[in-house]
Amino acid sequence: MMSELLESPYFGISLSILAYALGTALNRKLRTPACNPLLIAIVLVLGVLLVFRIPYEAYNAGGEIISLFLAPATACLAVGIYSKRAILKQYWLPILVGSATGSLTSMASVYGMCRLFGLEDALTASLLPKSVTTPIAVSIAESAGGMAPITVVAVIVTGILGAILAPAMIRLFGIQDPVAAGLAIGACSHAVGTSKAVEIGEIEGAMSGLAIGVCGVMTVVLSLLLF
Amino acid sequence: MKIIKQVGILFGICWISLAVEAVLPIPLPASVTGLVLLLLCLASGLIKIHHIQEKADFLLGNMAFFFVPAGVSIIRYFDVLRSAAIPIGVICLVTTVLTFGATAWSVQLTVRLMKKRERKQTGK
Repeated sequence: MMSELLESPYFGISLSILAYALGTALNRKLRTPACNPLLIAIVLVLGVLLVFRIPYEAYNAGGEIISLFLAPATACLAVGIYSKRAILKQYWLPILVGSATGSLTSMASVYGMCRLFGLEDALTASLLPKSVTTPIAVSIAESAGGMAPITVVAVIVTGILGAILAPAMIRLFGIQDPVAAGLAIGACSHAVGTSKAVEIGEIEGAMSGLAIGVCGVMTVVLSLLLF
Repeated sequence: MKIIKQVGILFGICWISLAVEAVLPIPLPASVTGLVLLLLCLASGLIKIHHIQEKADFLLGNMAFFFVPAGVSIIRYFDVLRSAAIPIGVICLVTTVLTFGATAWSVQLTVRLMKKRERKQTGK
């Protein structure tokens, strides 16, 4: 009787929403990027599954339905790019140069360090696209033979690091131009970093948001050339 | 009915993207094809922002939530993660700082060169 109830998709969906709601509430209360709502939600769901010995397959009956929304959500990144087309037109050259440099640096440095640590190929493929937004990173990792869940975790960790370190990195590299700071935050730490960029300034926020989409597409193009 | 139509438009685009993915010889992910298709539709005026506004806000505003199941599936990869957690952490930290620096400097350089050219042109 109980296992039948757990295998209903309603269980996985409700558990995910509850965990995410708790994560969002905690994030609002503590106001620090370290308390990322997604990270808290994942840890909470994992905790429930492990403590009550609920099989992953039972949870995933609902999980699959939530994942169905990933593709339309990715497509909607186009709305963000389109609505910022005025800034895009004005700064198209720096945006293009910055996104290309950022995407290339990220992939090259990840590849180099994976080799340095002697990580296996599947793990390297999972980490390669970690600087771009999750849906694009997951698609790239999967088509390169990586493990999607590892990519998801690496993307979140990278985003949180970028958001926490952004002000320090602006000082470290002596960046005065808000356009440069915004694009750099978006290029290295996608949407999580952008949430910090919005706090730093309006131009920084807009540029960071734009970099999410442009770097994402740029990284796809680079990965097509590499694999 | 309004929201149903918006869901229809976006899910339709995703379905067409799957078809494109099956036909294309390059492994371009279907979700990225969807992004490009939607951008083309918006730019050409075939779809107006208000045709998809509410649904897009819903999806973009809750983007992170849709990744909860993908993250939870890490339960199947605990062994890999346990053995490589430290290298993964170090890689994430170092490459994030490198990517920030390279992007910021390349943008500052480009903006500076653009301003120089502008000054030259207006100086003539």
